[in-house]
Amino acid sequence: MAVSRRTSRSRFTLILLVLTSITVLTLDFRGDGAGLVESIRGVALDVVAPVQSAARWATGPIGDAVGAVTRYGDLEAENEQLRLELEEARANALRAEDAVRENRQLRELVDLTFAGDIPSVTARVIGAPISNYGLTVELDRGSEHGIARDMPVVTGAGLVGRVVQTGRTRSVVLLITDPTSSVGVRLARSGTWGVATGGGRSAPLRVDFVDAEATVRIREAVITSGLQGSVFPPNLPVGRVVDARPSTGALQQDLLVEPVVDFDRLEFVQVLQWRPQS
Amino acid sequence: MTPVLRLPPLLLLVVLLHTTLFAEVRVAGVAPELLLLVAVAAGIAAGPQRGAVVGFAAGLVADLFLTTPFGLSALVYCLTGYAVGVLQGSILRMNRWIPLVTVATASALAVAGFALAGAVVGQTHLISERLVTVALVVALLHGILALPAVRVVRWTFGERGLPA
Repeated sequence: MAVSRRTSRSRFTLILLVLTSITVLTLDFRGDGAGLVESIRGVALDVVAPVQSAARWATGPIGDAVGAVTRYGDLEAENEQLRLELEEARANALRAEDAVRENRQLRELVDLTFAGDIPSVTARVIGAPISNYGLTVELDRGSEHGIARDMPVVTGAGLVGRVVQTGRTRSVVLLITDPTSSVGVRLARSGTWGVATGGGRSAPLRVDFVDAEATVRIREAVITSGLQGSVFPPNLPVGRVVDARPSTGALQQDLLVEPVVDFDRLEFVQVLQWRPQS
Repeated sequence: MTPVLRLPPLLLLVVLLHTTLFAEVRVAGVAPELLLLVAVAAGIAAGPQRGAVVGFAAGLVADLFLTTPFGLSALVYCLTGYAVGVLQGSILRMNRWIPLVTVATASALAVAGFALAGAVVGQTHLISERLVTVALVVALLHGILALPAVRVVRWTFGERGLPA
């Protein structure tokens, strides 16, 4: 009798919690990211931030040691890769003068002003993603430093992502490699447009909707298109084409683009205080 | 101190460990999902009802720091905590391996369940080739962390043995 009552109570609790979860999910959808849920997430970032900083300081050396062990294989492969790159760099040095001239011409050709005179906030990357799915990083600057949702984030190399959550002193950036990230892009030489979608951790970006007739070259630079209404300003470097092939039906080409930013070594970034033109 | 008072500091501690120390413990790019581990451990240590409640609370805390829809983790974690509690109650003879296998299997299924539930609410990217790797690695890491996790949750609820 007592067992039966306990089972019924457990089931009642479960049903109540499931209904509450579904209600919260619905509220999040209806708020479209700008409502109550977004505010709660921002407050959570701020509340945890001070304790998190202390915990990070305390556990940093242990984390680094464990991380070094778990990533040993990667480090070995990376070391080998760096050796090859060093040899390549020595050979490239001989061609550097010509490359500088070519670079200058390309910049003039595509008006690659990069961030130009857009005001920006420099921030330190302080946190890796808590999730195994979303590719995000946490910054040590938030709304009180002038950071707002949807602002583009860059390094000296190019586009990193956009701000998706802001607290008072912290913010979260969705990387362009996240599968939910989409960036309107333009191929620097051919001028063809496309949409770059994240391919996941350590994978190239996929660019869709590229005209089948366009001549795309391997290693061609890819930059943000900055079309009206785009979240990103024009001419931010995104990556370089590493593969181009016609898609099924050949109405368009599918491109793979290697990002110019090294996402494994993000330390400092700049948040561009840029708003899309309406 | 009552379990109600012990649970919030426990969840805060787990979030801090998750976002600091355990963010570095990645195997094949996959980190343990400590809040899910707490939900599973609660099912084992304290039965289906407390498993569901702890799972819900842990899921809500996880949702605060994710970019997936708010409430998705709460839904999956409370169902996981409940299911593990029911399963644990139906096992007549215990040995030390059963909690480990239960934690590993439940964690893998919860990871898959999260992706499926996410796909239902429009997060179709969660179902990918990588999902199998994530589920297997999370199962492995949670299996390793199972015994300390169950002990901590038992302490939280003042449980000495297995749930009645």
